[in-house]
Amino acid sequence: MSKFIRAAVLVILGIVWLLPAYLLVVNAMKDPLTFTSKESWIPTDFHLFENFAQAFELSGLGNSILSTLIYSIVSPTIAVLVGAAAGFAIVALRLKRGFLWFVVIFGGTVFPLQMVLLPLFDAYSRTGLFDTRVGMVIIYTVISIPFSAFVMRNFFTGVAHNVFEAAVLDGATTWRIFVRLYLPMASSALVAIFILQATFVWNDLLLGLTLSQSDDIRPIITTLSGMQSTYGGAQMSVVLAAAVLVSLPTVVLFLCTQRFFAKGLALGQY
Amino acid sequence: MAHQKTPYQWSARGFVAPGVILVAILLYLPLLWTVFLSFTKYNGLGSPDWIGLDNYVEMFTDGDFVGSAMNTVLWVIGTLIIPVGIGLAIALLTWNLGGGIWLRLPFLIPYALSGIGVGVVWSFILSSGGALDQALAAFGVTDPPRWLLDAPLNTIVMIIASSWQGVGVNALLFTIGLQAIPKEPLEAARIDGAGGIRLFTSILWPMLRPLTAVVVGLSIVASLKTFDIVWGMTKGGPGTVSETLALTMYKETFVNSDYGLGSAIAVFLTVITLLASVLYLRQQLSPKKEM
Repeated sequence: MSKFIRAAVLVILGIVWLLPAYLLVVNAMKDPLTFTSKESWIPTDFHLFENFAQAFELSGLGNSILSTLIYSIVSPTIAVLVGAAAGFAIVALRLKRGFLWFVVIFGGTVFPLQMVLLPLFDAYSRTGLFDTRVGMVIIYTVISIPFSAFVMRNFFTGVAHNVFEAAVLDGATTWRIFVRLYLPMASSALVAIFILQATFVWNDLLLGLTLSQSDDIRPIITTLSGMQSTYGGAQMSVVLAAAVLVSLPTVVLFLCTQRFFAKGLALGQY
Repeated sequence: MAHQKTPYQWSARGFVAPGVILVAILLYLPLLWTVFLSFTKYNGLGSPDWIGLDNYVEMFTDGDFVGSAMNTVLWVIGTLIIPVGIGLAIALLTWNLGGGIWLRLPFLIPYALSGIGVGVVWSFILSSGGALDQALAAFGVTDPPRWLLDAPLNTIVMIIASSWQGVGVNALLFTIGLQAIPKEPLEAARIDGAGGIRLFTSILWPMLRPLTAVVVGLSIVASLKTFDIVWGMTKGGPGTVSETLALTMYKETFVNSDYGLGSAIAVFLTVITLLASVLYLRQQLSPKKEM
């Protein structure tokens, strides 16, 4: 097929693909007072920032965003380090039955979250972790560990073992070798995992729905879902504006780090 | 490759311990507890009563569960055909094309949205008299279908919404696969006069096969767990007609407080997911394959 036809097909398909995003943005800019669900395709006014402000007022979006920022920065950071430590133990330190331990950690990711929701809810309620930031950080961290260990084990497998031996000959402790040598070496993989997991945490619904309830603690997507149910009728344009606001960070992050992201996926899966 | 013992076993245990302990306490323990609960009658008060397989019997004879299972099958098939198929097509169309990165961009934007974000946009578009109906009216369709109210149409349009989101990442994965194909056999085939379809069937497709197994496996596993988009668009309704297994589990557990039945559904879902995972885990866990 000639390159021209290929490009033409892609452009047309691409435009079709952008239509829902166009509708989202155009209608998120409409004033809820004059908003009508009859002229969805035509931009009428620019009321976006007022709608953002309105969204903050309606559902305490500010606190929810702050909490979600904490979750999606702290949890992936810890998970990346824990995963790297596991990979280091298995590959560089040649842990006995290392593959078995790897499978134990990685196995944590192969079943659906549904399998742990109820006991977690039960345990969180009994221990006072329910509806707390600490509780949310803990579960997001644990959920992110298996993938992180998986990628880091793969990454360290590609590092020649005599790098480790040379450091040992220099008299370095294993801790020092990990912190000073292996972690810096793996920085691109660490960042890639961080980005993937931060996006995952930011976009989570199910754990937020199950393990939190107050506006301050609830992660952002759960808040958005609640807004949609409560205000989806009368203040549709405000809900759409909230959807834009909530989606912006991950879309920008993803588009800026596409190559990283692709590399991360490639590291993980092939 | 037998790992010879190194003098660092204690240190190694220390490094691996945090990961193992956290995963064991917060994932494996709850998992076992769910398995146990699936054999009990329990609503959160008092203590669970052992009732053997009753929950499983109830599950398979319950019309709502069967409907939910059928919807989930529809999700698996639909998300295999549309996002994986179109993803591959886009990867092939942008392959070796100047500006491919830019042409792929429109497909990648939706991927970074959350399921709820996608749900908000699409339920707005599909609402009665909404954007889609207005567009259809412009073409003279005055009596459009009730997109989100009638089954199985509501599941089908939700699969399309989910495909809108998922195509980009599949295109990206296939693009990486295509870029990893060595140039020499391609050049040779071109010189021999192979083009278009022939090039695809005899060279590209065989070389993409291991990658395709992974993409297909990931797609099946992800679709089995479908929750967010349905929650964002119909909450499984009207009634239960658009529920998926993941959603039925959530409702039975946290809305109806039938912990035993909810756990049984979770176990069922997990068994199926694990079977599907074998498809791609085999590929994933074996070190250093073709790519």
